[in-house]
Amino acid sequence: MGKFNWTKKDLLSIYDLSAEEISFILDTAEEFKKVSQRNVKKVPALRGKTVVNFFVEPSTRTRMSFELAEQRLSADIINISASSSSLKKGETLLDTIRNIEALQADLIVMRHSAAGAHAMLADKISCGILNAGDGAHSHPTQALLDMFTIREKKGSIKGLKVAIVGDILHSRVARSDAWGLLKLGAEVRLAGPSTLVPREFEAMGVKVYHNLKEAVEGADVVNLLRIQHERQQAGFFPSTGEYAKFFGLNEETEKYLKPDALIMHPGPINRGIELASSLADGPRSVILEQVTNGLAVRMAILFLVAGCVKK
Amino acid sequence: MPAKKEVCNAEGVDAAVHKVADGIISEFLDCPTREFAIIGIHQQGVPLAKRLISIIESKTGYSPELALLDISMYRDDIGVRQNLPQINETLIPFDVNDKVVILVDDVLSSGRTIRAALDALTDYGRPGLIRLAVLVNRGNHEFPIGADYTGMTLAVPVERKVAVEFVESDGQDRVCIIDWKKRSSQEDN
Repeated sequence: MGKFNWTKKDLLSIYDLSAEEISFILDTAEEFKKVSQRNVKKVPALRGKTVVNFFVEPSTRTRMSFELAEQRLSADIINISASSSSLKKGETLLDTIRNIEALQADLIVMRHSAAGAHAMLADKISCGILNAGDGAHSHPTQALLDMFTIREKKGSIKGLKVAIVGDILHSRVARSDAWGLLKLGAEVRLAGPSTLVPREFEAMGVKVYHNLKEAVEGADVVNLLRIQHERQQAGFFPSTGEYAKFFGLNEETEKYLKPDALIMHPGPINRGIELASSLADGPRSVILEQVTNGLAVRMAILFLVAGCVKK
Repeated sequence: MPAKKEVCNAEGVDAAVHKVADGIISEFLDCPTREFAIIGIHQQGVPLAKRLISIIESKTGYSPELALLDISMYRDDIGVRQNLPQINETLIPFDVNDKVVILVDDVLSSGRTIRAALDALTDYGRPGLIRLAVLVNRGNHEFPIGADYTGMTLAVPVERKVAVEFVESDGQDRVCIIDWKKRSSQEDN
């Protein structure tokens, strides 16, 4: 690991991070991954620190992963969900956050439906803010765990062909993955129906495909996104059956991947729609390793930002 | 740059490393012989640990196992320090339960690093015996922690830092005293 000094008290988006910062988080996460493999799965790094998990938008897996990461770092934890917060009573988001800060919290892990909510708050408070998802904008820890998993399996990300398939338009995971992978030198391909993958994405520096076979041809990694049923009701595609036929990865389309390609999915999977069950459980699937790595990456970023919160 | 003054040259460093190795040999490899492992604490404890192993092996034929320990996750100053510590690889290739281990670091000062190292190590198991070897004991201890093997003792005022340099990481072997008060304003950030 080269000499590097982390200086950010917040994790707002992947777009804000340099390639060097991303690599540093991933390097740090390698050591935190080992903590979870020991008999004593806990270190005192955040002892005495208070972390508030504030999920204005519901979440199960991200929240569970953050909570466990915080526990393994010995932090004290408070969980607030939208239904139990005073947002319901008309309090503004900034006031809610200032109340949390007044309780001497050190870090706030927040998920919010409004893109940019975290960035709006970050410079107004002394707590560190970690983005656990904001609208369709960003989900930096998911991108970090995806990159960690790819790097761990492939050694390096530079030069890899990574296809991200699904509802790119509404996906914060796709945006975060694409920015991170581009920064680390991968070739990023976005694929799905033209209603969900507009050509405008090419301005990012990615390739856009409306044909699955072309998108996954020679790919080192295929990341499938969950197709939400409500998108079908909104008319983005005619039926989930038709989506599965044209954009679901199955044993037929799998043949186009490189022999050692990885199949990824941020979960929860709609088996038989975006991904065939046999592939989700097959030898190329690293879906459960993504979950394991998510814990390590979240421990690393909590550790890094906590070190930069000055009280 | 802070003012840096060499207080011990390569020859002195070599003599001090040998003194530490001899202390370990006389405790564990004279009669009765006991097996032990050497654990280098990042950063500068690691090259020192490797040198100790090579000296012990050349003098006795016994090669202790090497482990690497990073104590960043066990520090007591996270959020207090100006710079965040960088995490290096922890690698303990043996079961520490009931093992005789010698912790190795370059400088013993406040004792806080060693406190953290003891916490880290005991999270891996219950060692049978832990000893501490340091190249330089500089005083200013803040914890009731002393070294079992010491290469050299220096009396250094608390506001000065002792820096051990090794060929492996710094291009030369020497011990320096750094006067932080005399550093340039650029470095105060």
